[in-house]
Amino acid sequence: MILKFWGVRGSIPSPGPNTVKYGGNTLCLELRLPDQERLIIFDAGSGIRELGDSLSADNGNKGCLNADIFLTHTHLDHILGLPFFAPIHNPGTRLKIYGPVTCEEDPLEEVIGGQLSYRYFPIRQHELGADIEYIDLMEGKYNLGRGITLIAKYLNHPLLALGYRVEYRDKVLCTAYDTEPFYNVFCTDTSDASFDEILASEGSRAAREENRRMEEFFKDADLLIHDGQYTQSEYENAKRGWGHSPIEYVVEAAKRAKVKRLAICHHDPLRTDCQLDELSQVYVNEEYAGGMKVFFAREGQEVEI
Amino acid sequence: MNHEFIHRERHLKRIQATIAGMPSLSTTVVKVLETCNDPRASANSLKQVISLDPVLTGRVLKLINSAYYALGKPITSLTRAIIMLGVNTVKNLALSFAILKNMQGNGTFHAFTTDEFWLHCLCVGVVAKSLAAFKGLMPAEQEEYFVAGLLHDLGKIPLNKQFAEEYYQVWESAGRKQDPFYHWEDRLLGIDHCKVGSMIAQKWHLGSSLVESLSHHHDPDECTEKNRDLVSVVSLANLIAIDLKIGTAGDRLVDKGLLVDLSAKVGVDYSKLSNFQESVGKEIDRAKIFLEIAQKG
Ligand SMILES: [Zn+2]
Ligand SMILES: [Zn+2]
Repeated sequence: MILKFWGVRGSIPSPGPNTVKYGGNTLCLELRLPDQERLIIFDAGSGIRELGDSLSADNGNKGCLNADIFLTHTHLDHILGLPFFAPIHNPGTRLKIYGPVTCEEDPLEEVIGGQLSYRYFPIRQHELGADIEYIDLMEGKYNLGRGITLIAKYLNHPLLALGYRVEYRDKVLCTAYDTEPFYNVFCTDTSDASFDEILASEGSRAAREENRRMEEFFKDADLLIHDGQYTQSEYENAKRGWGHSPIEYVVEAAKRAKVKRLAICHHDPLRTDCQLDELSQVYVNEEYAGGMKVFFAREGQEVEI
Repeated sequence: MNHEFIHRERHLKRIQATIAGMPSLSTTVVKVLETCNDPRASANSLKQVISLDPVLTGRVLKLINSAYYALGKPITSLTRAIIMLGVNTVKNLALSFAILKNMQGNGTFHAFTTDEFWLHCLCVGVVAKSLAAFKGLMPAEQEEYFVAGLLHDLGKIPLNKQFAEEYYQVWESAGRKQDPFYHWEDRLLGIDHCKVGSMIAQKWHLGSSLVESLSHHHDPDECTEKNRDLVSVVSLANLIAIDLKIGTAGDRLVDKGLLVDLSAKVGVDYSKLSNFQESVGKEIDRAKIFLEIAQKG
């Protein structure tokens, strides 16, 4: 399998002189399988625009494209590129868009397709050339046909978000962003008036179990693409509960799960190229990572799995 | 026959529409709004306020179970649901179903007040939890028993809302004939709260243990083996709550024979049941104080 990063930034597209090296587009991944025409895309952040342009150029006059788009969730940074994904305007394009259900009762079609309404964009959903089918997903194991298995896993984010594990011919790719470690949200301070012993211990047990399930989900992955928006100290000082992970925790968790290669992504919009290079100095280091390969994902980068 | 069928279909449509938008109970709404609008409100108080409202508890479980499906077993614990969803998501959800206008009119029961109905639900939850503790179950399981008790009568909310007049007739007839309330629901509306409860629990993906405790709390012998213990405890807790006269949700009399039988099945000595009274009363008083409705009665 070949994976290409078309966008690695989190939260909002962040162009400018400080993000030239790692890239400013928000998340979009392209997955190609050997010997198959099949195209799998993860997320439709601003990176999907350039992916779309490259596909249009490749396809030339043929104009037919068949692709599956798996959305991790419906936060803006993961869907805002869709109207600018050129193939949706071509008749002959067939897309299946999968994603988790959100808090409200609205189906995916309205949540995502709602961007394609006249107040946001001059072309309306029903005027699109492409044939788009929307499919609600929840946790589970799905057979995508031709030997491809997909496992969707519930993540810890302020909105229902899914991680994906693709298994194909003994190779495993996993995505786990936007997420943070599960933690006990209940009071554990015995001197606090609201302290409740059962709640405190059940809360820690639930968090521990869910974190263990998370590691099982990416166990033995050949490539794990994980959220690492913050450093441990940033996380602890101000970002707990925001739905993004501290790099230190991710490296440890991936090591425990015997992941072979770890790509850290969903870089903070304020993180400059220099800072990412500095972080690389610390974490991209065999000694620190115990033999596991770690890198900070870069826009345009291709990885063979 | 055919006529009746059409009638029933129409009833079902109206019931389904109510389920989709069912708001939290008026009894808890002020505290829910206060807690969820407070950015500093702790997870502990959030859990406390949600666990006092059967509709919100059901909605939180629905949200997590519509995405999460570990080992094929749905989540029935509010504690775990809050860990999984996060405090802000739960607050956001609660706010969208805590509707102030529900305070008056529409949402209230004619036969008994919403406060009485709320009290009954809470009491059944508390008794079910105490029984689970008495049976030596672990805290996580005790919570499932509490939730099953709290939610057992959810099916009454859409029926009351859609058929307020008829529901009053149900209450009156059941009282006059000294019949179980659900018999008269079926007689006058063509459907009872057990069936409606089962519809809700299925639609909300609450899993078989809650589906069965909502649908079989009046006939625990009819449920499947694996949920028999839970459903029997909820059924017994319901009888105890009626017997203690804490709140009401339609039934006013308890068949003592049934109470003795069911106690034996659940494995508690009938003569010891009065021991629960004090601790249950205390827990309910705490809840009332928390909601600041003690003065209201
Ligand atoms: Zn994001
Ligand atoms: Zn997000």
